[in-house]
Amino acid sequence: MGGSLIPGIQQAIMNTLQYMLFYLIFSLPLTLSYRTTKVINFAHANFITYGAYVAIFLHGIMGLNIMSVAAILAFLITGAIAVLNNVLVFTPLQKRGSSPAIIMISSMGLWIAYKYLLYMTTDIAHYYTIKNFVSYGRITYSDVPRGSVGGVELSQAFVASLITASLVVVLLYLLLEKTKIGRAMRAVADNPSLAEISGIPKSFVVNLTWFICGGIAGIGGVIWTSFSGAITPEAGDSMILQVFTVGFIGGLVSLLRTGIGAVLIAAIENVGIAILNTYFGVPVSFRPFLTFVTLITTLIVSPPLGAGGGLPYRFLKRGSRR
Amino acid sequence: MIGFDIVGFMISWLTLFGIYAILSLTLNLESGTAGITNFGKVVFYGVGAYVSATLTAYLILMLNGVDVSETPPYDIEGIILLGELGNKSPLLNIGLLVLSLMIAFAVSGSLGYLLTYPILRVGPAFVGFTLLSSGELLRIFLQHYEPVGASKGLMAIPTPFGWIADSRVREAAYLSLVLGLLALTYVVTHKLINSPLGRTLRALRDDEIAALCLGKHVPRIKATILFIGSGFAGMAGVLLAYYLTSVNPNMFVPAVTFNVWAMIILGGFGNLKGSLLGAAIITFVDRVLTFVTPQLGVTVISPDYLRWVIVGLLIVIVLLVNPKGLLPEKPIKTPALDVVLEELRGESR
Repeated sequence: MGGSLIPGIQQAIMNTLQYMLFYLIFSLPLTLSYRTTKVINFAHANFITYGAYVAIFLHGIMGLNIMSVAAILAFLITGAIAVLNNVLVFTPLQKRGSSPAIIMISSMGLWIAYKYLLYMTTDIAHYYTIKNFVSYGRITYSDVPRGSVGGVELSQAFVASLITASLVVVLLYLLLEKTKIGRAMRAVADNPSLAEISGIPKSFVVNLTWFICGGIAGIGGVIWTSFSGAITPEAGDSMILQVFTVGFIGGLVSLLRTGIGAVLIAAIENVGIAILNTYFGVPVSFRPFLTFVTLITTLIVSPPLGAGGGLPYRFLKRGSRR
Repeated sequence: MIGFDIVGFMISWLTLFGIYAILSLTLNLESGTAGITNFGKVVFYGVGAYVSATLTAYLILMLNGVDVSETPPYDIEGIILLGELGNKSPLLNIGLLVLSLMIAFAVSGSLGYLLTYPILRVGPAFVGFTLLSSGELLRIFLQHYEPVGASKGLMAIPTPFGWIADSRVREAAYLSLVLGLLALTYVVTHKLINSPLGRTLRALRDDEIAALCLGKHVPRIKATILFIGSGFAGMAGVLLAYYLTSVNPNMFVPAVTFNVWAMIILGGFGNLKGSLLGAAIITFVDRVLTFVTPQLGVTVISPDYLRWVIVGLLIVIVLLVNPKGLLPEKPIKTPALDVVLEELRGESR
């Protein structure tokens, strides 16, 4: 290495890869759920946190440290929560003809309720076990191998997220492109009314989408417990800016562009903050500002008009008086 | 057995109600009437609170000849000095209040104005999300910015009425200040909503494209409304900082924004009286939870968490059961409408 221009650039690149995998696992389900159901779900952060806490409660109360078990359980639980949200809240609101903004606000309400419900659960669990669940340490799993490629140590989190992200991408591709139910999901995404007329069971397809999306985000949360040093009930919330920005770069429609967004945001955050930290002494905790700048830039330069309405104001020339 | 302090309860409830009602009135103007999904109300509230806290703490120390580079107000010595020097001059305290209110209005308002630029082009989801995340960024910034006390925040902020000896009178004086500003906010928002601008806002909320085609300058209207709404939110922040005499980053979590949202949803979108009612109900529940829970001896469940769960579920349930809220929006009767009705009636006769 020697006189590298940026000390720790190797670490920054490793972090970029690691966060890219996390953002893929968190953001792909967000994009998929929006384009199929047309609901901007801010409670998406809860899926991640609840997934993480499934693993934490398994580890802290039952002493279980097998990631595959935690992942399967988290998939089922967060998937079920997502379906429940849809059946109890989103579908009734949509049937009544509420505007997308109203449905979004209801998802905000769910977000707050779920978040503090988890805080209460951790308090109760603390009362019975005398363990600190509000800031839980990293979990070492017994069933995930550690790797080493070309002299670079690969952590458990990296191996697990690499496997999961690859599986998610491949399986989603196969599901959406090769199976009948996947074609039905795409049909509902493109034109819900037409899909319903042509005999596609729309509510089943929508529920299935929610189940898959909630579940994948939950698995991401489980993997997060092997990465983060202090997992709190805010784990999902602290990533919501990045996860949504990645989704917005994909316009909340294109899964491919969401993937590109994941790479972009991970690189901007990790390499960018390494450079700023070295040359300008910017604290590392200011990395979300880089994502925010990217978000603002995306909104100004290439406003995603497809999702959630919006007007092409670009034709309003500067100085045109109205 | 200590009797229940009913006057203390009323003062604390009404003060909190006044502060939150300013927020809910302006949020109703922005979101209920103009259709801007402002999920970042807490940004402008927090900026206002920090502006007044920083301004007051630093100016009090500096005007008393303390070198703030050596004993900054967030230091333990600074806090003690603030307590000693804070309430010596009534004129200075009142002057600082007025100055804080003006600067907080200007700073919060300008921030709201600037934030409309990137969000003009996109729909409600992106607007809401951008404002929401700016709230989180503000919190991260405050947590790491040393001059405002980083994660500890600022404490022992001298209050405008600190020179009044009797605590009851002091609280009552503060309450009248809060209610006075609330009345000002109500008059301004009421006038705005019932003006031609207010009717344009409703048009914009219901169909932005139609409003644009009718020649309304949608971007400028939105920016103006966010300037006014955010400015008043900044003033509410000033009131909060002086009321609690301390600020710290964790007071300004996104849940605060949704507390205000719950108020306008419960009270009714686009109805100002509804916002007042919603604010009154929710702050009342909040105060009751804080006053009652310790007396029940429940320690496992924190009243803070319980309150936020209630707020979250309330938003969902009201939207599901009664989306118009307790006091639904009423159509506005303008003089022009009366004339038209008169003419129609005249013709039919």
